[in-house]
Amino acid sequence: MDFEALLSCFSSPSCVITQTTGGLISGMLLFLVAAGLSLIFGTLKVVNFMHGSLYMLGAYFAYTVYALSGNYALAVAGAALGVGLFALIFERLLMSRVYGSDVLLQLLVCYGVILILDDAVKIIWGAQFLSMGMPPAFQRPPLFIAGGVLPVFYLFLIVITLLVAAGLGFLIAGTRIGKIVRAAAINPTMTSALGINTAVVFGGVFALGGLLAGLAGALAVPVRSLVSGMGFSILIESFIVTVIGGMGSVAGALVGALLIGLVRSFGTIGFPLFTDGLMFLFMTAVLIVRPSGLFGKEG
Amino acid sequence: MLRVEQLRKSFGGVSAMNGVSLHFEQGSLSAIIGPNGAGKTTFFNLITGAFRPDAGRILLAGEDIAGLAAPAIVRRGMARAFQIATIFPTLTVRQAILGAVNAHQQWHAKLARRFPLNEAQSRADQVMELVALTSRASTLSGSLSHGDQKLLDIALALALEPQVLLLDEPTAGMGPEERWQMIETVHQLWERRKMTLIFIEHDMDIVFRYAQTVHVLSYGSVLSAGTPDEIRRDPKVIEAYLGAHFEGQPA
Amino acid sequence: MIRSPIARDALIAVAAILVLAVLPLVFPGQAFSDFVIRLSAFAIFATSLNLLIGYGGMVSFGHGLFYGLGAYSFALLLQKGGISVPAAFALTVTIGGAVAAVIGAICIRLKEIYFSFLTLAFQMLLYSLIIAWTPLTGGDQGLTGGVPRPPFLGIRLDDPQHLYLFCCVVLVVSLFLMRHIVESPFGYTLRMVRDNPRRVGFLGVQAWRIRLLAFVVAGIFGSIGGTLMSLYVSSAYPDFAYWTISGEGVFMILLGGIGVFLGPLVGATLLLLLSDTVTRLTEYFGLVLGVVILCFALGLRKGLLGFALDAWAKRGGAGRSAPRPAVTAGKD
Repeated sequence: MDFEALLSCFSSPSCVITQTTGGLISGMLLFLVAAGLSLIFGTLKVVNFMHGSLYMLGAYFAYTVYALSGNYALAVAGAALGVGLFALIFERLLMSRVYGSDVLLQLLVCYGVILILDDAVKIIWGAQFLSMGMPPAFQRPPLFIAGGVLPVFYLFLIVITLLVAAGLGFLIAGTRIGKIVRAAAINPTMTSALGINTAVVFGGVFALGGLLAGLAGALAVPVRSLVSGMGFSILIESFIVTVIGGMGSVAGALVGALLIGLVRSFGTIGFPLFTDGLMFLFMTAVLIVRPSGLFGKEG
Repeated sequence: MLRVEQLRKSFGGVSAMNGVSLHFEQGSLSAIIGPNGAGKTTFFNLITGAFRPDAGRILLAGEDIAGLAAPAIVRRGMARAFQIATIFPTLTVRQAILGAVNAHQQWHAKLARRFPLNEAQSRADQVMELVALTSRASTLSGSLSHGDQKLLDIALALALEPQVLLLDEPTAGMGPEERWQMIETVHQLWERRKMTLIFIEHDMDIVFRYAQTVHVLSYGSVLSAGTPDEIRRDPKVIEAYLGAHFEGQPA
Repeated sequence: MIRSPIARDALIAVAAILVLAVLPLVFPGQAFSDFVIRLSAFAIFATSLNLLIGYGGMVSFGHGLFYGLGAYSFALLLQKGGISVPAAFALTVTIGGAVAAVIGAICIRLKEIYFSFLTLAFQMLLYSLIIAWTPLTGGDQGLTGGVPRPPFLGIRLDDPQHLYLFCCVVLVVSLFLMRHIVESPFGYTLRMVRDNPRRVGFLGVQAWRIRLLAFVVAGIFGSIGGTLMSLYVSSAYPDFAYWTISGEGVFMILLGGIGVFLGPLVGATLLLLLSDTVTRLTEYFGLVLGVVILCFALGLRKGLLGFALDAWAKRGGAGRSAPRPAVTAGKD
């Protein structure tokens, strides 16, 4: 533990800015993943334990598309759509069979898929760490705010995520599709009786969740390294975020993700080896005080 | 035995119980009736500790139990059976009743000996006999017929040797013959055990035949209370039920 | 025959120990006894987890915490504490129980999926602690320096044969004890809490106390599993506290049959056999295991032993209490 380093950072505006921006992009990536997880849980009442693998796939897809085309925008789009499609197939083929079942079976199905995908990634891309580097478009000098650093790519990531968040919010609250999704979440039988194909709704929600996770993976590639099994830690963090924010709440996911991103960012200074532990402590504290999360509903 | 004073409860702004005061003599057999939504089950929930009342006193043998949690109230001698039989599907009838006996005797957390305890067997057998479930002792509770599940539910409450027994619509969901059998069983139980028995019922024929006292609830308040004859002639009750001739309402 | 169930189980236990003691003569060689030693660690762990999941209806995702805790406590106590093996064992068990009491008290308050998450969070907290506290635990390399085993009562645990017998005895005794607990009045109250926690309150039982006790018992035996593993590898690794241990535990339970007491033992045996066979053929064990798990989860759901016993019951066995409602296909 290094309290001195932490305190000295707090007293230095440049350090605060730099750490905050770092924490923000962690939070943004985390939000994208957690929002998908939360949506899927809120609508399908199912915890997608393999959601982290979708993030991993997004990263690897983006890496490959970029390597082949040299175009980052294409890579991001391709990864998001590709993972969205994969998620849809997974849902239709595997997950939908265990919807009514014990959570243990759902866990097992996802656990099986995680194992398969982790090894598949090793087979296709190899077991070593991969790095993409920054696409040329973002290789510019960073912005300086009060002495702190804000790389251009970070700004891009933050803006994109906020746009996505706004879009999601509008989709769910403002559009007819959003209403249908909410209705199906509350009462699937009735919604189905009203002539709405719940299979399409459920598949769509899963695909959307996958798309968000894949997008996150693609956006993470320039600033993170890729390795098989990288899905697990972001899955755990997403769990923490959705639990803190309240399962089913996208707004909660945003708040939770930003909090966790910042905790992690400043935590690495004060508690360099125990940062993960810090997050769990934080989640435990929230759960003890508010057992359903900050924005969650009972039951 | 049981005296309730000014019991109040609201759920999110909607008042479910408005200052209900009722009194049940020791050893009496009383019925609580009222239209759907009158608050009968809420009343049971409040006095058994499922919900905490907003105001009022609940005196069980002189002790105010308002605000106590369900296990504590059970320990003081009040047991209940439910409108929809709520049981333990994976246990057999005998195991479930043994479990209830264990709970009553505080043997339920014993680790050193094997289940079933010898001391609990005879008690459990007695209870099974009281509700005539002995022939189904080895049946899984989840496989019982609806009527038998209700009997089991009552048996679980009986195993607690309660001084006050609450039955929530014991004949609900049954055909006409079954219903009379059930209420006969309940009546015999009451005579043999000399307990204070309160039951919620919709079938007026049954109510007037068996109850000593009838309490009428409506919209969370007491509309009337008295002997079956008094209730039958009470104009307020007649008005609430629309008609002098009370038909048994099918469950 | 034997009227008392305790006596009957004790007889079975003794017979099992004798059989296990003799087996190395039939299967000589390190591979067999290594298998049994590893099996004993996993079987105790998985059975203890089934106390929670199968008998208690408490789906813990973080039971591996106790496995790792047991391994590290035991190894560290022997290595740094220099105490005797029985003392280290007793202390480890106490630590496991104490930690379970604290964590259980916090987690039990939550419902269902939140309970599961929080147990996982605690496990990963321990994992982070292990990785971070390098001076004590060796960090991500695992505990270095070996685990000393001072002889006790004439037993020398550095002798492979002694170790084998020791693990067999611990396995059988642990299973016997857990069986006893499950068939005690407490065990049946636990089943009642699993089936209908609300009703249990109306019988005068405080459900949280029963659950907490179950959590502590499960934690104690989970730790015992960890101690055997640390003896086997003469160390302790962070992997022992990683989430995959919990996942494998769940799979062992479902593989062998959640509704049967010895199901986890069967499941552990099968999973270890699978693991050993596959790792000899390919380095991609994960892929194979994943496929097996999928086939299993989507097809065979009651577990091998569960199926076998159901088939037996259909041929006219008497109604027996199922430890858990069978994992069903769906609500329709």
